[in-house]
Amino acid sequence: MLNIGDQKLGSRLFLGTGKFSSTRAMIDAVKASGTELVTVALRRFNREQAEDDLYGPLSELKNVRLMPNTSGAMNAKEAIRAALLGRELSKSPFVKLEIHPNPHHLLPDPIETYEAAIELVKQEFLVLPYIPADPVLAKRLEDIGCAAVMPLGAAIGTGKGLSTAEMIRIIIRDANVPVVVDAGLRSPSEAACALEMGCDAVLVNSAIAAAENPAAMGAAFKTGVEAGRMAYNAGLMPTSEVAVASSPLTRFLSTSD
Amino acid sequence: MNKNLPDWLNPEPWLGLAFSTADIERAINADSPNEKTLAALLSPQAADYLEPMARRAQAITRRHFGRTISLYTPLYLSNFCNGGCLYCGLAADRRAQRAVLDETQLHRELEAIKKMHFEELVLLTGERMPEADVPYLEKSISIAAEYMANVTIEVFPMSEPEYRTLADAGCTGVTLYQETYNPVVYEHMHRWGDKRDFGNRLDAPDRALRGGMRSVGIGALLGLADPVFDMLCVYRHAKYLLKNYWQAGVSISFPRIRPQMGGFQADFPVDEKMLAQYIFAMRIVLPEIPLVLSTREPRRMRDGLAGVGISKMSIASKTTVGGYSADAEESTEQFEISDERKIPEFCDMLRAKGLEPVFKNWDATYREPAHYEKS
Ligand code: SF4
Repeated sequence: MLNIGDQKLGSRLFLGTGKFSSTRAMIDAVKASGTELVTVALRRFNREQAEDDLYGPLSELKNVRLMPNTSGAMNAKEAIRAALLGRELSKSPFVKLEIHPNPHHLLPDPIETYEAAIELVKQEFLVLPYIPADPVLAKRLEDIGCAAVMPLGAAIGTGKGLSTAEMIRIIIRDANVPVVVDAGLRSPSEAACALEMGCDAVLVNSAIAAAENPAAMGAAFKTGVEAGRMAYNAGLMPTSEVAVASSPLTRFLSTSD
Repeated sequence: MNKNLPDWLNPEPWLGLAFSTADIERAINADSPNEKTLAALLSPQAADYLEPMARRAQAITRRHFGRTISLYTPLYLSNFCNGGCLYCGLAADRRAQRAVLDETQLHRELEAIKKMHFEELVLLTGERMPEADVPYLEKSISIAAEYMANVTIEVFPMSEPEYRTLADAGCTGVTLYQETYNPVVYEHMHRWGDKRDFGNRLDAPDRALRGGMRSVGIGALLGLADPVFDMLCVYRHAKYLLKNYWQAGVSISFPRIRPQMGGFQADFPVDEKMLAQYIFAMRIVLPEIPLVLSTREPRRMRDGLAGVGISKMSIASKTTVGGYSADAEESTEQFEISDERKIPEFCDMLRAKGLEPVFKNWDATYREPAHYEKS
């Protein structure tokens, strides 16, 4: 079980719901992935037209909780407005706080994100901020009451995997809240790797939506995440620069002639 | 020829370079593409590599935009124009039926468009005219913003304060094609009128962004001048805007003069293969930028390019004033549209290609003017 604030989740795979070829494909992938938390962009809530709306079909899925995101917000003020609207529409306590002032690479703005997080925590959201893999920022967000932190593995849609692994290791080491790798992952093995490192969950969108068979890839990620978590719990053997002899070199010290 | 072009724009160093097959193959797979990459991909030699270029363009498009195509539709507010553009059916010396939408008609048009489920709208006019000046646009934008999640404009260049007025009214973006970046051809094409001022038009995207617009769309009207020159300029212009306004959205369109349009004969005709090559090339060098294709293009081209470089398309376009709600079309259209499919048919095509048509990809929550000031 993964605890985020007062919420309990059975799956450590979170899914983004944009970029799919159809709502059907998205729903199939969500189901196959076993995810219990999906994020949906406020800008894709379309109550005027059911066919174009991501929120409607998602809200009907059992066992799946929604996390509206603030994608599209350039600054704290817009993100707060979007979060409030998202909560009103979805009744979800979660918000994926994302503020990316550059609409092309979509990298998060640490300063505006911090500002917005303060306010959203006050408004009693479970705030999950999408952030650069910055250990200090992660701690600062934890300190003000964020329910988790979501550092990026690589820039959105690049599929460059865990490019930020070294920083994520530090974030995990220091964190008292769940650490979720968000963005950049391309393959289930990378998701497994993140979980093995000690990440609490991963959030994936493009890797599944842009796969040849999104539902099958959703299932593959499910397995990857589970394998990674099992490995983490099992305890990986330590790494070493030199070969470790299987029989101790100092045995002679404890044996008598 | 390029003495009037600022250094940041002038593509001279990359024109006329010779490229080997190895250069082109390297360009198709470039990790950090630059001007030279683009020049290689635009070169006639690269025409033999359309298939690998298309494959790479599709992979990049899919990675950044997923399997979706954003849809929008244009709304002509007015076709009054005092301009003298050689290539346009609305130039002042054409015997065009002129019209401008009043408030009642605008509401009627918007209702008709809303029924078609659009949430993104581009408002268009000709050159600045008393019939359709800034106050008129301001009013029209605020009305359109009541109906649509996202409203942008494709009108005459304005001053920064004028753009600010429109941004405050709810306009989020400006599309403004330079038509051609070749100043000599530009002067020839624009026989009279305000549009003759090349520099004023070139700087307008800067002013629009400083005025609070969140995005600008640029492009060249392919066929007017050497298309390789113009494409390189579009790329350099986009790069310049991205560097100087890092929070701004920049998109690129590929309007093309087709020989049969309005009697104007393009001096540098761009055929379908060339157009496809330019789109693939632009996608490879600018992986994250929305690339837009309008209904000017025939359906075969649109079907083939959707998701293969192109991430955004117009559909169900009427290029007459009042075209959406009127039964009889009373005004003259600016250009003939080629793809006249209705929305369901077009969306079915997208779905058959494994693409999702997206009507709403923006929320009115994000309508606030942007601020790019550097301290
Ligand atoms: S292109 Fe624009 S400015 Fe030129 S004549 Fe046509 S409507 Fe007028």
